[in-house]
Amino acid sequence: MLAKLRAATFEVLETMFFLFPEGLEEDELMPARGPFLCSWVSIIGPQSLRLGMIVPESLARKMAANFLGISEPEVKQPELEDILKETTNMMAGSFLSKLEASSAFQLQTPHARWLSPGEEKPKGPAKRLRFDVDEELLELFVERES
Amino acid sequence: MAYNVLIVDDSAVMRALIRKVLVISGFDIGQYFEGANGLEALAILENNWVDIILSDLHMPEMNGAALVKELNKHEVWRNIPVVLITTEARPEIINPFLELGVRDYIQKPFRPETIKQKLTGILGEGMATDAGQIESCDF
Repeated sequence: MLAKLRAATFEVLETMFFLFPEGLEEDELMPARGPFLCSWVSIIGPQSLRLGMIVPESLARKMAANFLGISEPEVKQPELEDILKETTNMMAGSFLSKLEASSAFQLQTPHARWLSPGEEKPKGPAKRLRFDVDEELLELFVERES
Repeated sequence: MAYNVLIVDDSAVMRALIRKVLVISGFDIGQYFEGANGLEALAILENNWVDIILSDLHMPEMNGAALVKELNKHEVWRNIPVVLITTEARPEIINPFLELGVRDYIQKPFRPETIKQKLTGILGEGMATDAGQIESCDF
């Protein structure tokens, strides 16, 4: 499952953002400075999941600039959240396609919010993937949704 | 011949991206119209001539499925080609739309040339042919 999610991540970042992520090992350190933005989307089905992403503002700004074809200072704050929601949505859609999941699995509306200091640190039983994207940390998580 | 395009997506940034991609693809665009959901799209159609609709699936108020059903009820609007731009490409989800008369779909993430190829196939002549123009454009 994580291999499919990794492939979906590469596909979305490369195609829509011209960014080329490198996977990080679990114990590999990658400094990251906040504030951090988190977006997530629920996948409702026989086994409901939540797929999400955490990135520092600097990476969100770079992604938005690449996505919209504008310079980083031109990116407006609400666009950061919108872009990240779209990204998570695309990753989830690509992930479901790669899994060949049945239509019983339905994507829900994506959400985004800024994290409080320290909230970005991993906790809970979620499965995580970490990437180095232009020397910035991008973290994905997948967790069961009750 | 210039074509009038209606983009229907609840994400403003996605509408902006699609519009930008259309521009760099070299389409002869007449007018752009944008709606955040099916209801807004229908309101635009009441007062404007549209040659092609690019629509998302999941939208609040009126989603893509409801929009296509409303278009099919109308004597004129039923002839406007609709292309879905969606994160969902699973056959179980897409096939019912194709059966409803949706011309084609484009899965996000997409490349500019994909949009160009699809629309060229549907609208035919009048498209720019310089593929290098797309490849070199940093949108």
